[in-house]
Order: sequence, then structure tokens, then C-alpha cells
Amino acid sequence: MKLVKTREENLKENYLELHYDRIDDETNTVLERLRDTLKYIEGTFEDRKVTVAVSDIYYFETVDRKIFAYTKDMCVEVREALRDLIDEYSGFVRISKSSVVNVYKVKKLQGDLNMRVIIYLKNDEKLIMNRSYKKEFYDTLNRLQKGKNS
Amino acid sequence: MRLINKKNFISIVCISFTLIVLVKLIWEKSTGFFDANYTENIFVCLGISVLITVVLALHYYLQQYPFIPVFIGQYLFTVGLISLGIWVLKRFSDVAETAYRDMFISVSIPFFACALVYYVIFFKQIKKANKMLDNL
Repeated sequence: MKLVKTREENLKENYLELHYDRIDDETNTVLERLRDTLKYIEGTFEDRKVTVAVSDIYYFETVDRKIFAYTKDMCVEVREALRDLIDEYSGFVRISKSSVVNVYKVKKLQGDLNMRVIIYLKNDEKLIMNRSYKKEFYDTLNRLQKGKNS
Repeated sequence: MRLINKKNFISIVCISFTLIVLVKLIWEKSTGFFDANYTENIFVCLGISVLITVVLALHYYLQQYPFIPVFIGQYLFTVGLISLGIWVLKRFSDVAETAYRDMFISVSIPFFACALVYYVIFFKQIKKANKMLDNL
């Protein structure tokens, strides 16, 4: 697959265009990644309606039956259920009963003596992964890694 | 994921029982030890196999709790039940004077060995996951 970048002055919005005869595995992987990157989610932030790129979200968390999406500088209340978010966007995985994390925003993992995994995010926040969600997390990581290598 | 369920419970007990008896026989053969309470001890081995499988099956339900209290709880539960078993056995037949000590050692060594293996696997998984995150 070839990437051609063309600079156009005074363009209102950047766009990507795909030329193909048939969609092969490599192209499909790129499209999968783009699909999430170009997805947006609507929510409310400080009583205003906002639209946030899914790729900018670090994690989702349920607090008092409300679901919040955390970006670098916003905490947006969204209407979707955690389960739907995991099904809809690849790269998101459940790490506890109330949290779903974006694997692409994880900086590193660290274990503690109680076998809980501490997740350090790229925005320097810390989340705790329960032992029961470890397998799901590692499976997702393996799947994304394979998708990247194929 | 539930590793021990209703379908494979009996098979796991049978495999554990076979392994425990094999270790017992190999140890007796190599040291030339004669087991005067052979039948009783075989039943104790079966009891331990069932008990350990039950304790391991509980792991699935206890995953949301911190590991150290769960491990200590399971260990005390197993040691307690085995001590109770020896106490009951003592009422009906002769047991060695060192029975409590022997059973305590026999339970503690595999328990701590398994915990150590579990820790090693846990930290290895994290190391592997960190490498994958770097490549992502």
C-alpha cells in the first residue's frame, strides 16, 4: 500500500482518499484504525453539548449510574452503555466493573503484591485493573498487536 | 474465565489424586519407607485432592478481592479442614504422632510453591504487555 501526501493551500478541511482495486488485509487494517480515529462521540460538558473524537478519550467511567468519558482536559458525560462502547470501538477494554480504558492511551502497566494491575495512562492518571479483567485486557492487547503486524 | 467447572471437576480431582499417589509411591520406593496405614492414607490423598480442587475452584469467585487476603483465607481454610480431618480420623484409627506436622508441611509447600509460580507468571505477563504497549 502506498501513501501519497499532497499539500493543498487554503483547504477548509483535511481529507483522506483511498484508491483501490480490492481491499486487501493491509488496507483493511489501516481502515480499521482509521474507523476508530475518525469516530466521534457526543456528550455534555459544563452544560454544553460537545463532540469528542473517540481516539482522544483516555477512559470511560461509571459514576452514580452516569457514564463519563475522560479526555486530556475534559470530562464529558455520554449516553452510551459501557458494554456498547467496548463492542463499538476497538481498542477499548473493560478493566473493572465501572471502567473501560483506551489501550492506545496506556503508557505502562505495573503489578502490585495483591495482583492488581496499575495502569498508567499517557496523561499521567492511574487506574486499577481488577484481577478478573486481566485476561480480557491481555486478549485485546494481543488482538491489536496482531492487527498491527498483519 | 472459569477454569474449574461442573464438567471437569471430577477429571481434575482424578488427575490430582493420581499425581499425589504417584509422588507418594515414588517417595516410598526411593526411601524404602513402609506405610503401615496404606488404605487410610490413600483415602486422605483422595480427600486432599477434592479439597484442593474445591479451593482452586473458589478462585473464580474471589477474583475481585485483593490476592493476599484471598490467599491467606484459602490457606487457613485448607489447613483448618485438613486438621479437622486428622482429628476426626484420630477418633477411628491410629495416626502417627507427627500427623498434624506432616500434613501442615504437605499442604504448605505446594500452596506457597503455587503462589510463587502465580506471582512469577503475573509479573511476566505485565512485562510482556508493556513490550506490546511500546510497539502499539
